[in-house]
Amino acid sequence: MSQVGRHRFARLGPNLVLIGAAIFFIAPILSTARQALQKVPMPLFTWGTLFDKWSLAGLTAVFDEDLFWPALWLTLKLAIATVLITLTLLVPTALYVHLRLPRARPLVEFLTVLPYVVPPIALAAGVAAFYRANARWLFSSQWALVPFYVIMALPFTYRSIDAGLNAIDVRTLVDASRNLGAGWLTTLRRVLLPNLASSILSASFLTTTVVLGEFTIAVTLNKQTFPVFSFQYFGRNPQGGIALALLTLLGTTALLAVLSLLTRTKAQRAARQKIRMAAAPLPIP
Amino acid sequence: MSNLTFQTIRKSFGANVALHGLDLAVGQGELVSLLGPSGCGKTTALRIAAGFETADSGAVLVGGTDISRMPPHKRNMGMVFQSYSLFPNLDVTANVEYGLRTRKVDRASARTRVADMLELVQLTAHATKYPHQLSGGQQQRVALARALAIQPSVLLLDEPLSALDAKVRASLRDEIRRIQTEVGITTLFVTHDQEEALAISDRVGVMSQGNLEQLGTPTEVYRNPSSAFVARFIGSMNELPATVLDGHTVRVHDVPVHVTRGTQLAADSQATLLVRPEDTHFVTNGEAGLAGHVVGQTFQGVSTTVSVRLKALDALITVHEVGSVEGRLEPGDEVKVTLDGRHAVVEAVG
Repeated sequence: MSQVGRHRFARLGPNLVLIGAAIFFIAPILSTARQALQKVPMPLFTWGTLFDKWSLAGLTAVFDEDLFWPALWLTLKLAIATVLITLTLLVPTALYVHLRLPRARPLVEFLTVLPYVVPPIALAAGVAAFYRANARWLFSSQWALVPFYVIMALPFTYRSIDAGLNAIDVRTLVDASRNLGAGWLTTLRRVLLPNLASSILSASFLTTTVVLGEFTIAVTLNKQTFPVFSFQYFGRNPQGGIALALLTLLGTTALLAVLSLLTRTKAQRAARQKIRMAAAPLPIP
Repeated sequence: MSNLTFQTIRKSFGANVALHGLDLAVGQGELVSLLGPSGCGKTTALRIAAGFETADSGAVLVGGTDISRMPPHKRNMGMVFQSYSLFPNLDVTANVEYGLRTRKVDRASARTRVADMLELVQLTAHATKYPHQLSGGQQQRVALARALAIQPSVLLLDEPLSALDAKVRASLRDEIRRIQTEVGITTLFVTHDQEEALAISDRVGVMSQGNLEQLGTPTEVYRNPSSAFVARFIGSMNELPATVLDGHTVRVHDVPVHVTRGTQLAADSQATLLVRPEDTHFVTNGEAGLAGHVVGQTFQGVSTTVSVRLKALDALITVHEVGSVEGRLEPGDEVKVTLDGRHAVVEAVG
């Protein structure tokens, strides 16, 4: 076999995997787009009708729904509240663990992953019972969801902030700052937060996507959040529901794109710095 | 008047005692090194001075004032760390200015001060660069400028050179000494590198397992080590089995050696004699000496290190000869050596 032929043959495998993966991910999106944007009754989605009646009307119809805007607004409010509470709780906790309890890090890491393995429905049922008995005012409020969301986002948010702290030499930077006359607040504001900016940003975006997608608890506690509205809307108007799903997908993709754009330059800078540090000879202990 | 004083500082981490009552006074404008292997307590002492650790008992005094209970950010001490400690989000100017801003120094005088400091460490051209754009040596010079900008009462150097490669290390070491002398600042320098300590210190404190074994000028600790530990830790030593004859004489095989410092060991007890390679000489005329043969030699320019295996003791020793030994000594040559006991140390066996 010739050299070129062997090369082609060698690349065939990886390319097949790539094509398979592309079909697996893109085909559902394409069919979603078709059902959302084509004004054709569901049973008539065949190859023959592929080019009939395409229109953006399906996408915009949802904006006229009475419950759409309140649901979206509620979810955004919940997202903001969740982000704020998550950061207020996690940044100091992660810092404290890094600086004072480094040996507790595996334990804390384990605890933050727990929400991932506990089924949301179990969480919701258990905490709903607790709320009913002890904090009825919170249970009936729309903010009742925030504590759940803080917990459900923990596996992502803690990890993100922890990674940010690992990327810098927190102890030395804090010591240097305090040695130069800065108290804890100044150190946090001028040294730690700027250097954690990209990990805080990604923790915030991850929290937002968790809130945008959570359904089980919202429906259990009977709150009209965006995912709950989407589900009900789909029941009333399947094609509109699919259009909304497509919109949501586009929206979160855009969010992700913004995130990677905002954090890219910093990440690159950090990466360069890391390479430089790695190239320096190791300090002799 | 001493500017930085440790008074009987004790510190333990759990069951591990880091400092057994450290007493040390660093004079105004003096550079004292704490030298020792890792885990000897030197870094703990420095961190207690900076306020990052609290002593279990004892006091730290600056200019006669007890600062033991003062938080680190009020202590007015400049510190340079072992690992790169510049704030990655700030450029060189902002890093050096950091301590001035926390002290609410007005902008104009802060700028002047920063410019002066950058000139002192010869980095004026790099004022607007970020830490990741600088070499390791440059980063440590910025760290030094940042520490000095606040006009600290004491400068603390925590192994500032150990992350650098050998060439940069030597030149930055000399630069630190030049700047320290120029500024006239009281300095505590922590290092595990004896060459570094000997080169730049006014006095060296050799530490071992939480104790200050010896404090003296570089020459004193090198020439008159107070213990076998100090003797071994600083420079190299030939170690030979010996028998004590009296308070000032030991016998190595059949050769008596006069030990100037003397020994407390009883006559006839077994001991180890520690003699520096430069105090070990080849016998040229027919004098008595320890017989052996040359095993190898390493030419180092100004001197040559010759390894000799002693016949009677089956011990390998090294001898420093000035210049080259080419044509005079070859591996396998039969030689005799004598030991000069002027700076030797006698250690009990067992």
